[in-house]
Amino acid sequence: MAHRVLICDDAIFMRTMIADILTGAGYEVVGEAESGLQAVERYKALLPDIVTMDIVMPDMGGIDAVKAITSAHPDAKILMCSAMGQQALVVEAIQAGAKDFVVKPFQPARVLEAVQRVLAG
Amino acid sequence: MTDPRRARYVALFAAESRSLLASARRTLAVWLDAPDDPAPADEIFRVLHTIKGMAASLEFDAITNLSHDTETDLVTVRDAKAPVERSWLATLEATMDALALACDAAVEAEQGEPSPGTDARDEAPESVRIVRVDLARLDALFDDLGGLVTARQELERRAEADSLSPVARAAQAMGRRLNAVQDRILDVRLAPLSEVFERIPPVVRDLARQLGKETKVEVRGDDLEVDRAVLDQIAEPLIHLLRNAVDHGLETPEVRRALGKRAAGTIRVHARRDRDAVVVELSDDGRGIDRQAVAARAVAQGILEKDTDLDDDGLLALLARPGFSTATAISDVSGRGVGLDVVASRLRDLGAALGLTTVLGHGSTFVVRLPTRLGIVRALIASVGEEHYVMPLTHVAEFLPWEPDAVRDLDGRSVIDLRGEPIPIVDLRRLLLYRGAPVPSRRPAFVLEANGQRVALLADALHGQVDAVVQPMDRPRGMPRWITGATVLDNGRPAVMLDLASVV
Repeated sequence: MAHRVLICDDAIFMRTMIADILTGAGYEVVGEAESGLQAVERYKALLPDIVTMDIVMPDMGGIDAVKAITSAHPDAKILMCSAMGQQALVVEAIQAGAKDFVVKPFQPARVLEAVQRVLAG
Repeated sequence: MTDPRRARYVALFAAESRSLLASARRTLAVWLDAPDDPAPADEIFRVLHTIKGMAASLEFDAITNLSHDTETDLVTVRDAKAPVERSWLATLEATMDALALACDAAVEAEQGEPSPGTDARDEAPESVRIVRVDLARLDALFDDLGGLVTARQELERRAEADSLSPVARAAQAMGRRLNAVQDRILDVRLAPLSEVFERIPPVVRDLARQLGKETKVEVRGDDLEVDRAVLDQIAEPLIHLLRNAVDHGLETPEVRRALGKRAAGTIRVHARRDRDAVVVELSDDGRGIDRQAVAARAVAQGILEKDTDLDDDGLLALLARPGFSTATAISDVSGRGVGLDVVASRLRDLGAALGLTTVLGHGSTFVVRLPTRLGIVRALIASVGEEHYVMPLTHVAEFLPWEPDAVRDLDGRSVIDLRGEPIPIVDLRRLLLYRGAPVPSRRPAFVLEANGQRVALLADALHGQVDAVVQPMDRPRGMPRWITGATVLDNGRPAVMLDLASVV
């Protein structure tokens, strides 16, 4: 069965792009969230196999969302999506429980590699 | 563009960057009012950051770099934890405007033409489920509706003979349902003015900066909705009117101060609902239009009697004449070979009307009256020879019995006397260059009233009224300006829609 993905990003543009990359490789996108709060809610409701998480989002940022999700689900597999120049934030996210990260602009091969790594790990 | 997936991303970028920048603009306005509050910085940072990410994905490098640099500045200012300077906020505003223009330019370069038609609608409440529909599909639905309205009229005409028959009652029931369907389809086509209005402030401010002028832009009523087809065509004429306002209307800050006005001129874009129309008022508080200078020029060109009292309507009629312009020097911005005449005719094609009030020294207001719904209009059917034409009834003032004796010659023009007043006659045969069937002996005439003027229009025959579903046409070059659309009559024959206002 295809792995189920939850995509969290405040931009429809980015969600569409990630969804295109992942569905093209056989993943199933089961949900999308456009803020940190929504990400936490959807995670609880959907229990996806993997989450892609943007860092800068309204309401609650991606890092706080990672903390909220991993505190209830320590095994959650979360892949951070960061822009260039956000190394410090990426480190913070990994400490909060995220498993790996990719940097925007997305290169499909990199995204797929990272997703496979997170799922395997 | 050949890659459909990229085309989709560009369309998403267009919609999303526009909506983000509009929200940043609102945030910035709040910040300008209270520079000590650091909260808006985060919101604007988020907008810049998101645009940067999208632009980088599409390899729009200039936008990526500009948003990255601005983001960096913003973080420096935010982390300094000191109140921000107003002058810095003004620079930020200019940068955001530049970013908006750069986004539009990048999208246009890729799509080949401006497309205000995509809308992410990401602000829609959670419970509303949205389906995006290609406008062409809605147009097709609208075409089918036109056919149904026509069929219904035929059915009603046949059922008239016995209005109590089961067929007549079924026809009435169908008529009511059809009206409801018609309303629903027209509703689906509505889109908010904000899609166009959002683009206005950056364009106006950018232009003012180029001209060394200061402006404040006020936008109101952008939640009102008009038909998608109207919305898609309205941006260009509105922006043209605003360019004129900034270029010719507003004075420089020095001149304004000397006049006791505030250095920054105000440009207002206010929309309001008026019955079944949406009225957009574009006003500036600049120098106003010099009536006497316009009149003098018109007299010199031989198109105005000396000493004519020129009211606002008369002034607009002159300014909208092809080729008539009072600009003594062609400036870089509005002197692009497109004048008020083109704006006026564009608006007419949309079924919109243009009005003007201007006070010397105090500014001008252009009033654009937009139809909110695509046209199902009550129209008169007239014919010339075998050809049928339809014309909206709005401008028809009265019908005249045809008496050849009533026609006389006045200064080389044929006129007809109506209650003692000579009214010029326009013969449809001549207007349409018709040279077919011979002229009938008796011909009906009717009086048209528009822009405060009247003409008597002469046809070969009149055939009653219809509810015409008007299909906007792509206008080939050289098509007369009074042809505005086409419709199908209940006998299945196509008829051309004439815009009577431009005949007057």
